[in-house]
Amino acid sequence: MSAASLGAIARFEVATKLRRISTWVYFSVFAAVALLWMAAAGGAFQSANVIFSADKVFINSPYAIAQTVTFLGMLGTVVIAAFMGRAVQQDFETLAFPFFFTSPITKTQYLFGRFIGTALVLMLIFCGIALGVLLGTHLPGVDATRVGPWSLAAFVEPYLVMLLPNVLLLGAVFFALGALGRRMLPVYIAGVVFLVGYLIARRLIADIDNRTVAALIDPLGSMALGVLTRYWSPDEKNHRLVPLASELLWNRALWLAVGVAAFATCFARFRLAQPGDAARPRGRKARALEQGAAEAAAPSATRALPTALVRDGGRDYARQLPGLITLYLRETVKSPYFVAIVLTGALFILGNSRVLGSLYGTNTYPVTYQVLEFASGTFGLFILIVTALYAGELVWRERDARVAQIVDSLPAPTWLSFAAKLATLFVLQALLQLVVMACGILIQLFNGYTRFELGQYLYRLFALQLPEYWMIAALALTVHAVVNHKYLGHFLVVLYYVALVAAASFGFQDKLYLFGDAPAVQYSDMNGYGHFVPAVRWFQLYWGGASLLLLVVARLAWVRGTDAEWKARLQRARSRWGLGTAAAVALGSIVFIATGAWIFYNTHILNPYEDENTQQAQRAEYEKLFKPFATHPQPKVVAVRVQADLRPHAHEVRFRGEFLLRNRNAQPVTELLVNLPEEAIVHSLTGSVPLTLAESRPKLSWRRYTLARALAPDETLTLSFDIEYAARGFANSGASKTVVDNGTFVNSTLLPTLGYQERMELSLDRERKKHGLAPKEDLMPRLEAPGVRDRNYISNDGDWITFETTVSTEPDQVALAPGYLQREWTGNGRRYFQYKMDAPILDFYSFLSARYAVKRDVWHGPQGDVPIEVYYQPGHEYDLDAMIAGSKDGLAYDSANFSPYQHRQLRILEFPRYASFAQSFPNTIPFSEAIGFIAKVNPKDPKDIDYPYYVTAHEVAHQWWAHQVIGAYAQGATMMSETLAQYSALMVMKHKYGDAKMARFLKYELDSYLVGRATERRKEEPLYRNENQPYIHYRKGSLAMYALQDAIGEDRVNQALAAFVRKWQFKGPPYPLSTDLLAEFRAVTPPEYQGLLADLFEKITLYENRAISATSRALPNGHFEVTLKVSARKLYADENGAQKEAPMDELVDIGVYDAKGEALYLKKQRVKTGESTYTLEVDAKPAKAGIDPVVKLVDRRPEDNTIAVN
Amino acid sequence: MELVIRDLSKRYGNGVQALDRISLTIGPGMFGLLGPNGAGKSTLMRTLATLQEADSGTTRLGDIDVLRDKERVRRVLGYLPQEFGVYPKVTAAEMLDHFARLKGLTDSRTRKAAVDALLERVNLAAVRNQRLGGFSGGMRQRFGIAQALLGSPKLIIVDEPTAGLDPEERVRFHNLLADIGEDVIVILSTHIVDDVADLCPRFAVISKGRVLLAGEPREAVGRLEGRVWERVVAREDVGAMQASLPVISTRLHAGRTIVRAFGTEPPGPGFAPARAELEDVYFSAVGGHLAPERAGAAA
Repeated sequence: MSAASLGAIARFEVATKLRRISTWVYFSVFAAVALLWMAAAGGAFQSANVIFSADKVFINSPYAIAQTVTFLGMLGTVVIAAFMGRAVQQDFETLAFPFFFTSPITKTQYLFGRFIGTALVLMLIFCGIALGVLLGTHLPGVDATRVGPWSLAAFVEPYLVMLLPNVLLLGAVFFALGALGRRMLPVYIAGVVFLVGYLIARRLIADIDNRTVAALIDPLGSMALGVLTRYWSPDEKNHRLVPLASELLWNRALWLAVGVAAFATCFARFRLAQPGDAARPRGRKARALEQGAAEAAAPSATRALPTALVRDGGRDYARQLPGLITLYLRETVKSPYFVAIVLTGALFILGNSRVLGSLYGTNTYPVTYQVLEFASGTFGLFILIVTALYAGELVWRERDARVAQIVDSLPAPTWLSFAAKLATLFVLQALLQLVVMACGILIQLFNGYTRFELGQYLYRLFALQLPEYWMIAALALTVHAVVNHKYLGHFLVVLYYVALVAAASFGFQDKLYLFGDAPAVQYSDMNGYGHFVPAVRWFQLYWGGASLLLLVVARLAWVRGTDAEWKARLQRARSRWGLGTAAAVALGSIVFIATGAWIFYNTHILNPYEDENTQQAQRAEYEKLFKPFATHPQPKVVAVRVQADLRPHAHEVRFRGEFLLRNRNAQPVTELLVNLPEEAIVHSLTGSVPLTLAESRPKLSWRRYTLARALAPDETLTLSFDIEYAARGFANSGASKTVVDNGTFVNSTLLPTLGYQERMELSLDRERKKHGLAPKEDLMPRLEAPGVRDRNYISNDGDWITFETTVSTEPDQVALAPGYLQREWTGNGRRYFQYKMDAPILDFYSFLSARYAVKRDVWHGPQGDVPIEVYYQPGHEYDLDAMIAGSKDGLAYDSANFSPYQHRQLRILEFPRYASFAQSFPNTIPFSEAIGFIAKVNPKDPKDIDYPYYVTAHEVAHQWWAHQVIGAYAQGATMMSETLAQYSALMVMKHKYGDAKMARFLKYELDSYLVGRATERRKEEPLYRNENQPYIHYRKGSLAMYALQDAIGEDRVNQALAAFVRKWQFKGPPYPLSTDLLAEFRAVTPPEYQGLLADLFEKITLYENRAISATSRALPNGHFEVTLKVSARKLYADENGAQKEAPMDELVDIGVYDAKGEALYLKKQRVKTGESTYTLEVDAKPAKAGIDPVVKLVDRRPEDNTIAVN
Repeated sequence: MELVIRDLSKRYGNGVQALDRISLTIGPGMFGLLGPNGAGKSTLMRTLATLQEADSGTTRLGDIDVLRDKERVRRVLGYLPQEFGVYPKVTAAEMLDHFARLKGLTDSRTRKAAVDALLERVNLAAVRNQRLGGFSGGMRQRFGIAQALLGSPKLIIVDEPTAGLDPEERVRFHNLLADIGEDVIVILSTHIVDDVADLCPRFAVISKGRVLLAGEPREAVGRLEGRVWERVVAREDVGAMQASLPVISTRLHAGRTIVRAFGTEPPGPGFAPARAELEDVYFSAVGGHLAPERAGAAA
């Protein structure tokens, strides 16, 4: 009987829910979103770019389906909360509980029946995702090659492993809170807390040390899924089912236990009894209350009542507004749930501030912009959720308390409560911004940083962000007012947030059509908010107008009275339409249309609106039209003289100058193919041989000039130009960042480039196909291609050039360019700097201008003193010494081991954080403020990496690796620049910080490499054929070079490099290939490591090394004997990551460590495929032992390389 | 001032005709609106209380068009809905103060005076600072009438106010209603005939959205005088009797079934004349024994 009643309750629950329209709305929304998602992934939309980590991963691969189901399932948390929370709570809300509580069912039947029934309905709703996935792949426009074989298991598995546990565990908690609390608010708060778990996890996961913790604390399991599949290659993603193992298993077990605990608590505390017993005063007090009221029950004399009512309605009521807002606000803020949500958010911010601005696990100083971006970015989601939640609560406030009929029949005008509720939301958001501010200041205080920039806090939080939140508030209120279904309203608001975030992935980037969107403004210590705010203001005004219109809709649709049928609502809306609403509509429309037109003029006419698809189309057209010109002979740049006039405050730059071109071909040159960015205003472009413009396609950056007479081989021509870039208005992405008020950084790509530019070609086959191009086999010419050594990879229209420039700027700024300062003067209210390079350089240079402070030092080199200058933003003094040290150590190491430094000076120039890289130009290193100027490196913390030092050393090394030896434009070219610069930096770091620190650094490199290859969108190449792929040339490059020098010795490597420099320094064409470098390495590598050399550079090699067991016993001589059992395996992967086992028989580190982590034994031993046992003697008590303990080899589970010694 | 309702109709989206050409004229004083559950009483009350739209017809309160000019109606309206809740953690005084604000008592001193006076009047002054969550049903109902009396309304609508009250509280509540000034229109909707008999000089019976009868209780009872008969029957005969005779009502009295029937002559053997009561009027009207009266019968 028990089971039967339980079944009956569950069945009834299912049946009633299935009759509800909202159930099917949710189902359809999930199906629709999944459908769109799949269609986007399959390429049905022009510019959608939903991808499952790599283009080679099928959109219906087990991995992709698991991701889709999990991701969309997260959106389902709202639905789980709505259904599970109400599973029991509905009986209290509808007052139906007496029927159930008095019927002959047990608590078990009631609670389990409801829970099971609701869980079933939820699983049914989530089946919408599977339906959408299935249908989505059949939509027209979905690329059939993106769809792989179907597998039922691929669907079942994520439902069983991800969704069902989520429904049960989240459900149990929501269910319990709804049943015990009899309100929905705590349920939603719990939802927020779960979300926080997810968010914390998402932040923690950035640091490799926290990965397991991150996988565990995300209740939804998506982080665990991410960690588990983090290093999966495209091939594995296509074929492997996500196993319920390791982190994912622990996660599911942990959270299911939480769910069980919640349900058990609910079961224990729930009583089938009248609610509110506890709320009623009991005993004597209650009797007194009743009596007191009853005794005085004799009718009292009718007393005249004060009757003074409002005199002039509107104004009198307007005066009630503050009182009402205070009332609503107090109700909201005083509730423990609100306190809970704010505290959770604040704790979340403060907790996560430990990883503030983390790069290589090393924090930055808590400068205000950093803290502010972190805190408000983190808290932003809370504000959105609170807005959605409380918009619903406020709209439903009276109806939930069942006083709506009374309140609605009172004469207070409808606008009063409407306005009060809107204003309450506004104030609520402002209060939350105050919380953000408090958190930010606390973070700064905790870190002992006291330069609070309160003005910046106030400006960003209240002047920039708050208006945007207010628009969201208007939207949320409108949705709730119109939809008139609380839970559906919440869902729709959340859906809007998701849609806004997802819009870009679907190719909707035009901010004119995304409610509330505005260009992002990035603060920079150098440039403040620059000139980027006006564009934002226009958008805010525009959306403000739209918000006003929305609010009119809300006002008209506002439910007052008991009649919520559409007919009646329309009737009421008509009657509410009056002068005020008409005026609001007029005002809103005028603002909306006028600012919209202005924005359109700016973002579509003054500045071309080009979404990704348009840009791709242009690149495709460039290739289609101009590829034939690739073989047309072009002269090469041999000398550059240019005057760059920067007008920082007008955001303009004008280049006047000339290129000396020489025909280095065997054939005559009859035409000049000039590439210039679309935005260039060409005032003149003339040649010493007259030029005729034969073809001009500015949108494609293309101009073709015919020469009045052919340029004979070796003959020269002077190309004179006068080109200007002037920011006009603002674009969809905001105002132009080319020239800014303080901190301009532009480079030679703004000047004419000659010849067909292969790098314009679309690289992804998916995109090429969409635009009617054949797939592209290689992104860079193959090593074997004829004539491959003719061009270098930095510039394909120049070899080694002479360079001379004059840069002018505002009188209070310093302008810089490669070369040595010849002269500085002021004139016409401007400041001029003339620079000249004394030796040939690559055809690549830059111009910078800012109000700098300068720190100077000198490196006493063997060839004489080299002055070092750091041009920096005052206030950014923190890491200057590290940069100078990095410069000196780099110069010393590289010149001692490879060749002398070719310049007489080294300058580091800070530029704003609009880009975060450093880049080496001859004697000049522009360095972003984001990647070193505010780093807080704690020298005592073994985990901190001195990255300002490292980055500097890397860039200094480029003075050799690129500026002395430059590779040919071919595969593997960057192995001769980036990989070698990494190597120099690693060695400099190793000598300063020691091997332990290097192990730490290499952990990050290994992780970056493995993630990089897992998300490769084309194909992974071996190092020597890499096609400018950062995860290969930097990350794998570091690992390979470190392993090589570890195996054959640093001296031998340096010997090879010195020989390489001798052969190729300042040479080319012909330029060297990666194989030339490999030949040098091969020459110095002893036979036993030749195999390793090939594995590192010519193959994609992975190891699966693992310590199985380690035991030790004390020897009579006080030493210990360690018996270590390991297993080893070597795999070769192809370009998609499909692996093949290779026999292993090579020298690998075997190590034993004491409890402090000091190596007691670390030597290379011969290791073969499979299990092997080593017996070692160490002189102290061992704690840990293993194979390749420092992880010098590429291994996807490095953590199992060592094991505790028993 | 009188309330004039003409041909008021309302059909819900689900097809239920809640109001079917209702016409009534209601003057100052207590007006009882009787009807079975689902008769359309609440719909009518809510429409008069500006909470609901009507499909057609007109309603005027003095010179106010009730259906259009809701704002003006609300200024002179006091409404006690059939069902209402309270914020459990708010005190009676605070809640009433809040309502008073919305009612338009914007001057804080006047408002405080009004709140105090009303709480006194409904005998809640002693518990003014108690949370509403702890109130009994009667206290809550008295609080409800207090808010309805805010701002000295001209039209007071109370929807099923005594349902669920114990006899003592009911009396107390009746006294409160009776104390309301003579010049105020008070519409009391109820399905309890005694409420009307006790309180209302005028009344109407509505059923299925129509006015079946309107007038003064005494006069209506008078018209039935001599036409009501009753007898005791065996339980098993009740069914047959209901089928063959114009039965007004059957009820149990001390375990026996008493059937009352309508007729100028004794409707059957064993029937004795009985004194007509308002309940007979109500049941005859609802049972269709009296010809429905058309518009504007009452004044």
